[in-house]
Amino acid sequence: MPATPEPSRPSSPEPEQDNLFLPDFCGIRMVFLVVVIAELAAIVIALAPMETPLTERWAHLGLISLFVQWAALSSCALLCLLRRQLCRLRPWQAGIASYLLILLVIALVSEGAYWLVHYPGGMSALWHAKFVARNLLIGLIIAGPLLRYFYVQHQWRRQVRAESEARLQALQSRIRPHFLFNSMNTIVSLIQHNPQQAEEAVENLADLFRASLSDARQRVTLDDELALCRRYLQIEKLRLGERLDVHWQVDALPGDAQLPALLIQPLIENAIYHGIEPRTDGGTIEISGELVDNQLQITIDNPIPDNPARPHSRGNQLAHENIRDRLSAGFAGPTRLALDQMDHHYKVCLSFPYEPWHENSDR
Amino acid sequence: MSPGMKILIADDEPLARSRLQSLLEDLNDWQVIGEAANGRQVLELVQQHQPDVVLLDIRMPGMDGMEAAEHLNKLPNPPAIIFTTAYDQYALQAFKSHAVDYLLKPIKQQQLEQALQAATQLTRAQLQSLAQMQQEQDTPPLHISARVQGGVRLVPINEVLYFLAEHKYVTVCYQDGEVLIEEPLKSLEQKFADQFIRIHRNALVARQFITGLRKDNEGRVFIQLRQGDHQLEVSRRHLPQVRELLRSLSAAGD
Repeated sequence: MPATPEPSRPSSPEPEQDNLFLPDFCGIRMVFLVVVIAELAAIVIALAPMETPLTERWAHLGLISLFVQWAALSSCALLCLLRRQLCRLRPWQAGIASYLLILLVIALVSEGAYWLVHYPGGMSALWHAKFVARNLLIGLIIAGPLLRYFYVQHQWRRQVRAESEARLQALQSRIRPHFLFNSMNTIVSLIQHNPQQAEEAVENLADLFRASLSDARQRVTLDDELALCRRYLQIEKLRLGERLDVHWQVDALPGDAQLPALLIQPLIENAIYHGIEPRTDGGTIEISGELVDNQLQITIDNPIPDNPARPHSRGNQLAHENIRDRLSAGFAGPTRLALDQMDHHYKVCLSFPYEPWHENSDR
Repeated sequence: MSPGMKILIADDEPLARSRLQSLLEDLNDWQVIGEAANGRQVLELVQQHQPDVVLLDIRMPGMDGMEAAEHLNKLPNPPAIIFTTAYDQYALQAFKSHAVDYLLKPIKQQQLEQALQAATQLTRAQLQSLAQMQQEQDTPPLHISARVQGGVRLVPINEVLYFLAEHKYVTVCYQDGEVLIEEPLKSLEQKFADQFIRIHRNALVARQFITGLRKDNEGRVFIQLRQGDHQLEVSRRHLPQVRELLRSLSAAGD
């Protein structure tokens, strides 16, 4: 039962957004819910004593309801008004504060009820104390689990939200909307004047997305991965024209080396996105590799924009972390991802052990 | 808009430009007066040909569409601007909330026609919010634009030596000369906090050009720059920060 946000309320226009675990007590749905819970509690209290005759119980229920509703709605109003203050506290502090708040309200209402109902005749001080203590105990027992319930529900909702966000991010990192839409635009432009190239671009795009959407743990040969990189670069070449130049020096690499799919392509994509695209006259990406002591070493070098003001993006770092994780998870031997920024160049060096491909080497 | 309107196409990708060209060929009443591949070219071509509408790609090298729009609006008669983008969720959010014209690539002919018919100049409020958005994305503009006779002069920010506030204006001193702008020093300081340091109530100096300090006979402290012979006093209040910067520079140099 999510509390309905009330946009007209100026204090916190989006109650779902703040971090307090309590639902929005100013919302009409929540107030209704409080009334229902309070009434149920009142019925339980009225039903409990065995010796009272039925007719008296009805009268009792009326009195108890009045009392309980009074306490419940006052607590509700207070929690609504104090929400902003409670938001500033830590969750456990806010929990205790609201618990105490409710007990305080019950104590006050008990006092009020006592003076209202019993004042002229007067009951003994002992009865008075018992009355207040009993009410507090009931409040303690009902409010505690209720607050706990709100807390658990809030945690649960937060977890669901976090999970769906993570899933979306994972999906986006595979689909890469920027690249997808740019490629679509390229293809649309080609269809009329150069259908042949448009066809090739669609084929390349299909291969790339097939690879992106396949199981992330899948292993491929280096030859396959490099072929995919070339297909990717063909698409980018169409888009960037003469601004993009690529030099390959990978003959020394064993084509049958196995590696996790899409280990190299994202690095080339980064080189284009952060290196070539922002440069007015583009530049050359150098992809080179060698085999040293049974370790494959692949280097991707790209120029960076002249303007030093533009800081290195966080997205880029995230991509590198992802590759680093997959590297260390994908090989038993030593792996390395080294980043190096020189004057006007950015260099990424990837290193992993040579494991020749076997037909059934799924691990 | 009346027939015969002039359009400038701005996109860094040749194929994207030719696509727009062919779309516009099929529409009557529109005449493409030029194609620009980056923001600087946009400014040059706009001043040369005075188009009525600019179809402006957001992501372009050198100077992007956002920044170009900001400079364009300083012209006496700025063109209407329609942004184009393949995918830029931050920009789109800003556009939507401020009713800025934009088209999503691949652009559809019908939408292009509608946008052109409805094209209006950006308002100051829209521009301000776009500029603010750019700041939040950590990409300060790369140029300072100054209104000069008959147009706008662009000064790359990394050529600026210092900003000096005098009366209503701020003097921008750069490697090849000086221009006056109206932007307050305070906003410049915020925008270019990484590149400039405040040395006096009325002066911001480019960190990259500072070489040292110099004291005169009366105990006043002046800043020394790698270029030119400028008399820029460092106020007592800002001296500690400047000293700190010099220390860090010399530490980095070692």
